[in-house]
Amino acid sequence: MIDFVQNTLDGLAIGSAYGLLALGFTLIFGVMRRLNMAFGPSILVGIFAGAWLHSHWSAGMIPVFLATLAGAVIASAYVERLSFAAIRGDAALASMASSFALWMQLEEAVARVFPQRTYAFPTFEGLPMLELGPLFLRPEYLVMFLTAAALVAGLQVILTRTLFGLHLRTLSDNREAARVSGVNVAQVALLTFLLAAAIGGVAGFLIAATDGQISTKLGMWATMKGLIAMVIGGLGSMRGALIGGLALGVVEAQAQWYLGASGREITTFALLFVALILLPVGLAGGAETGARAEAGRRL
Amino acid sequence: MLEIRDIKTTYGKIAALKGVSLDIREGGLTCLLGPNGAGKTTLIWTISGILKAQSGSMKLAGEELAGLKPHQIVEKGVVTVPENRLVFPEMTVKDNLIVGAFSRRKAKGGVEEDLESVLDRFPRLRERANQEAGTLSGGEQQMLAVGRALMARPKILLMDEPSTGLAPIIVEEIFEIIGKLRDEGRTIFLVEQNANLALDYADHFYLLEQGHVTFGGQPGEVDHDELIARAYLGARKAS
Repeated sequence: MIDFVQNTLDGLAIGSAYGLLALGFTLIFGVMRRLNMAFGPSILVGIFAGAWLHSHWSAGMIPVFLATLAGAVIASAYVERLSFAAIRGDAALASMASSFALWMQLEEAVARVFPQRTYAFPTFEGLPMLELGPLFLRPEYLVMFLTAAALVAGLQVILTRTLFGLHLRTLSDNREAARVSGVNVAQVALLTFLLAAAIGGVAGFLIAATDGQISTKLGMWATMKGLIAMVIGGLGSMRGALIGGLALGVVEAQAQWYLGASGREITTFALLFVALILLPVGLAGGAETGARAEAGRRL
Repeated sequence: MLEIRDIKTTYGKIAALKGVSLDIREGGLTCLLGPNGAGKTTLIWTISGILKAQSGSMKLAGEELAGLKPHQIVEKGVVTVPENRLVFPEMTVKDNLIVGAFSRRKAKGGVEEDLESVLDRFPRLRERANQEAGTLSGGEQQMLAVGRALMARPKILLMDEPSTGLAPIIVEEIFEIIGKLRDEGRTIFLVEQNANLALDYADHFYLLEQGHVTFGGQPGEVDHDELIARAYLGARKAS
């Protein structure tokens, strides 16, 4: 029982980072109705920028964090210009395929510059292990969870209190209506893309700082985790993205403990499979899709 | 106020507008009638910049609109109330209205006042100000779409088939709102299938058939029955 609770605690921490990755996907999908397959690899660029700064200049956490964020945002801007802004209208598949090509390109570029298998990434050293009765909480997990919570709260403020947030919501709610209402669609789409990249960059930094080492596999890993968490939670729902991320984190932590590493991967895909069959609109997608359908009927 | 000259727009490979010319006069209701598929909605989407005209010009008080992006056209004061309302269903009524004021953010202030005046104009929207727009009835959504357009302080209101999908009694109500806007001296361009009702309110009208303007004039100048037959059916009397 203690093991189960301990795993849940660890899973929620990792899951909060998955939730951030899913949130990045969801923002882009919500506004553009397209999937950005190069999302993870853009984060990869950021993480390696951070690792480079760390190894060449012995930079501390804050410069490494900023470099990670900057790298992810710049790589994402490149992806947005090439795969999304340049491909117009409803060619959603073309965007997806081309972002897949950029995934390969970014990953290959990083692998050329950083030929070793793994590189060191700075960790949160010196923070004490927290004890909660019989439970333990790794300090980096606490940092991860709190950062994710703060980021979600900040995003909520941006979405509900700022003009940009209102713009963003109009685009995800009804694109045509946004255009006739005078929303500058291209500009909002780019800013949304960069916001998603920044969120992904934070998630990537937290994950890399927890592991203490990184490899070029992280790009694909981040795309997979984010996509799976998003689909479990419900496509296009922000709440769903977070719930999906947390659920994925907890299930993985349990599976890792009871079934081992290979069991964990199988469980992840089994979870995705079950979610798609039983809840095709996702854990949180039902209510929103229902409201939309109802609105459609009333026309 | 808005001079449209020889506008040609294609939809895929189909030529939807084959050289449309018409004038929207300041301070009045200009109505565009025509059967289904004549290109009425295409013209609205062309003026609002969502569809690109192949050729031709659209001059607002001498300033060319053709080639501008949709948000730039809204900034110029040409604001569309689209067919089927197209409100933001998951946003509150109030947020829907505030969105409408984006285009004039450079002219700061006045948003609160405008919001009040729109809510005064539509008391039913005030009652539902904090409800999601998707929960409104069709008529209320139409009012919301009109209110959203008014928030932009438009020079010209383009209204695309405001009666679509609404019960007759609601259609009457919507037309009373349009009539009131006209009486306030606003410039309105109304595209409408319901020719009978539209002619009651129009100061000026055009008939669009198969991508061409085939007739223009003032209500009362012509035999309404024949006009209405053509507007609905696209039928031409042998002469």
